[in-house]
Amino acid sequence: MTTQPSVKTVTVTVDGVSLSVPEGTLLVEAAKQIQEDIPVYCYHTKLGPAGLCRICLVEIEKMPKLQIACNTVVTDGMVVHTASDKTMEGRRAVLEFLLLNHPLDCPICDKGGECDLQDFSMAYGQGASRKVEAKVAKPKAVDLGPTIVLDEERCIVCQRCVRFDDIITQERSLVVKDRGHRDIIATSTEEPYVSDFSGNVTELCPVGALTSKTYRFKSRPWDLNRTKTTCTQCSVGCQLYVDERYGDVLRTMSVAEDETSDGWLCDRGRYNIGFYNDPQRIASPLLRRGDEWEQIGWDDAVALWARQIREARDTTGPESIGVIGGGRLLNEEAFLLQHLFRSLGVENLDWRAGRQTVATPVFSGTYEELEAAQTILVFGVPPSQTAPVMDLRIRKAVVQRGARLVTVGPHSSGSSVTETHVRRVADIPSDAFDAERIAVVFDGIDATPMRDLHERFAELKRAGKSLIGFIPGEQPNARGAEAMGMLPRDGGRGTREVFSAAKDGGIRVLSLFGVNPALRFADGALATAALERTPFIVLSELFLTDTARFASLVLPAHGPFERDGHVLDMTGRVQRLFAAHAAPGGALSDGEMLVALADALDIEIPSPSALTARARAPEKRAMPRGEIRAAAPGGEAALRVIIRSDIFAGGGTVYHDERLEELRPRPIATLHPRTAQALGVAAGDLVDVIAGDRALRGLIVRVADAASEGTIRVVDGLPGAPANVLFDGEEVQVTKLEPAAPLAAAGAVAG
Amino acid sequence: MLRAVIAGFVAILAGFRTTFGYLFVKKPTIAYPSIKKQHAPRFHGLHELRRYADGKERCIGCELCQIACPANAIVVVGAENTPADRRSPGERYAARYEIDELRCIFCGLCEEACPTDAIVLTPRFEMSDYRRGSFVYAKDRLLVPPQGGVGSAPDERPNGIPADLGAVAQQKSTVDIATGYDATWYGRALKTERRGLAG
Ligand code: SF4
Ligand code: SF4
Ligand code: SF4
Ligand code: SF4
Ligand code: FES
Repeated sequence: MTTQPSVKTVTVTVDGVSLSVPEGTLLVEAAKQIQEDIPVYCYHTKLGPAGLCRICLVEIEKMPKLQIACNTVVTDGMVVHTASDKTMEGRRAVLEFLLLNHPLDCPICDKGGECDLQDFSMAYGQGASRKVEAKVAKPKAVDLGPTIVLDEERCIVCQRCVRFDDIITQERSLVVKDRGHRDIIATSTEEPYVSDFSGNVTELCPVGALTSKTYRFKSRPWDLNRTKTTCTQCSVGCQLYVDERYGDVLRTMSVAEDETSDGWLCDRGRYNIGFYNDPQRIASPLLRRGDEWEQIGWDDAVALWARQIREARDTTGPESIGVIGGGRLLNEEAFLLQHLFRSLGVENLDWRAGRQTVATPVFSGTYEELEAAQTILVFGVPPSQTAPVMDLRIRKAVVQRGARLVTVGPHSSGSSVTETHVRRVADIPSDAFDAERIAVVFDGIDATPMRDLHERFAELKRAGKSLIGFIPGEQPNARGAEAMGMLPRDGGRGTREVFSAAKDGGIRVLSLFGVNPALRFADGALATAALERTPFIVLSELFLTDTARFASLVLPAHGPFERDGHVLDMTGRVQRLFAAHAAPGGALSDGEMLVALADALDIEIPSPSALTARARAPEKRAMPRGEIRAAAPGGEAALRVIIRSDIFAGGGTVYHDERLEELRPRPIATLHPRTAQALGVAAGDLVDVIAGDRALRGLIVRVADAASEGTIRVVDGLPGAPANVLFDGEEVQVTKLEPAAPLAAAGAVAG
Repeated sequence: MLRAVIAGFVAILAGFRTTFGYLFVKKPTIAYPSIKKQHAPRFHGLHELRRYADGKERCIGCELCQIACPANAIVVVGAENTPADRRSPGERYAARYEIDELRCIFCGLCEEACPTDAIVLTPRFEMSDYRRGSFVYAKDRLLVPPQGGVGSAPDERPNGIPADLGAVAQQKSTVDIATGYDATWYGRALKTERRGLAG
């Protein structure tokens, strides 16, 4: 970090207490030093002052009128009274004004119990209304988009939502329409409000105007059990509060002071909470009997598993045993997993089960450093879909700190901020490397650009520049799994080699932990063939995923909020998880399963405290470099496929969360208008995407100007339309299906 | 000094007059259940969840009674009214409403907290049963039947809060308490039932 030039301090007296604060501090912030909370509505630490609501009025000596504390910069010798009679009278009048047209039915309002308007009315309001005229009626329960419902009558027009959408996400779809007492919040285009960060506005809204569809009218804050834990939907590692009631996770809330998330959450992390009590969740170990599943007890399940492992080791040797998993486990569990199997001589251990091949960058940095970078280079899949909250940091760096964003690869980030998009490493503008602080964001998939730039990076390092790397991968704890040793060593095989061996019948027992290679592995055909040929597959999962089709034994595991332990976020920071929800009685955590297995196999395992110590202090060791992908068959290709992540894709928790119905991506193929024309397809058509003998069938065509010409973009990880039958970047043909069903056309329009 | 002692003693005697007086009063023995004691006008008995005269539920599922209850006896889970299925005025209604009458200490704080006069303690006091579980009264037993509503429902604006708010006391005193639990629809039904059984 750079050292700030020393700032002059000024002395200000607030309610008789003299404070010294840096010059330029806002009065409202200065007052926080003495816990003197000045009421605010429109002001927010991260959004800055707006001066709209006037509730923060305070009396300042030598000033004739009350001043707003949120937009007054303290000056030396300023004397402020935040509780004088004059101040109180000012607040009372402001509240009376705000309540003129505000409905007085807090018991119905969803915000009741945690509403600033309620609280300040209690503290400073006048108790009864003097208004006898009817209140202005505005639309109620306005459907603002797939996640948000708006009550226009309750809005006090503080514009926090509008400013969040403007300043933080840079998406600018929310606006204030009309003026005076008729003003309402709406989207500028009259289109639904769609954003991957929409849930944050419900938290910012100081009143009950903006509400989440998933939580609306479900509970009161005082009836919720709150647990602070870490979100493990992606590798950012945001802290969040989980609010649960009667065994149902009702909502999640951001942690304002959290350094990881900067106080925001993305909608995947916030809303993907409805699967815990899904009836399809596996409730006891399942053993395959032909095409049927038989429920068995844990003792039998573990005994069978242990027997299979022992037999395989004793007959065909430890090379015929494979283990894939770790990226969704806790550090403790990942360590235990590799310890247990290494004790048996098994070296075929790998966390990689999708496209990502590496999780630990060579030079780590913190999110704060990312924000301070002057040049941000993004390689491959843009982080907006794989690490959304980190993308907000990038947007902040670009907009508020003037950083330069360069995206490299087939994907332009589609970010709401200005970017320079180049296709090849060689096209990166050379002045991009002139900056002092450079951040590299790499999707962890194809390490070719990293290899190409290796010399360059070494040079920059030698020149004493700050160079930091981030790998926002697919699995939340991939970095933890690497640090805990879930990687093949000493001649062990990685996932790809295990699958190749399995395809030829070389693997007898495969244990999978929370991974779904049938849907997610980069080479879907290989994964499927391998899983088909493996005689005994054990899968620890929450649901019967695509991979469960091949499993002989499925073990019910604990979900994200049901776990207690540690993970590493992508910057390598240790994050703590606390169980916020009780797992179903029939499920065991992966750790408990492993302890039972170790017991059945007579393997000595570390004590719980040693395990925790281990999980908290990840060993720093040299990590293997990412895989270099064979370059896409060179030369001219009429059409190449781009496989793209979507935050709401996946065959597990999102797929089984009925509250997310509307947010799940549809099987869509996106084309540039000219490409679509050349192929003779139009929006709404159904097409098959074919490469050799492999095909991805029944996609709905969407035409977008933002797509690159000569490419067809498909969504990864959709059950029913597994994009991993194709290779990212390979040449494909498109055939149109006749006739396009009208239903699909409607879907394409909505999607 | 002595005068003060005497004065104090007299004061104590005066204070105990009521207490001692009862030594000489005839002991009442009420031949329950054929005769029922008359309760005080605002006796706190079994709850009922009221409706408006038009049949809409008064309860808006606000959970204020739940937080007010010192015995933790109430469970309320709110839900949203839909135009097709409108249970109460305003947007919110109680999808689940339960009172554990064994936990309840009949303090009436729920009634006091209720912003719509929905939950009311009736004079009905007979609710013995053989199983604990049957003391958890859910909406099926708490809610008065559709024709038993009182008061006119508020308009959608001002948003579900009744204009006659706070009229509980008055409503209760209009109730005929002379016959014990005759005050509520339940009372009447129960009594009829009993009569049938007895006869
Ligand atoms: S909807 Fe809420 S956050 Fe937005 S302007 Fe209105 S009161 Fe403020
Ligand atoms: S960015 Fe990642 S960690 Fe943060 S809330 Fe979203 S899914 Fe969870
Ligand atoms: S009467 Fe008192 S104890 Fe009983 S439910 Fe109401 S608030 Fe709770
Ligand atoms: S009975 Fe009254 S206080 Fe209780 S939830 Fe219903 S409206 Fe609210
Ligand atoms: S907080 Fe100061 S004007 Fe709104």
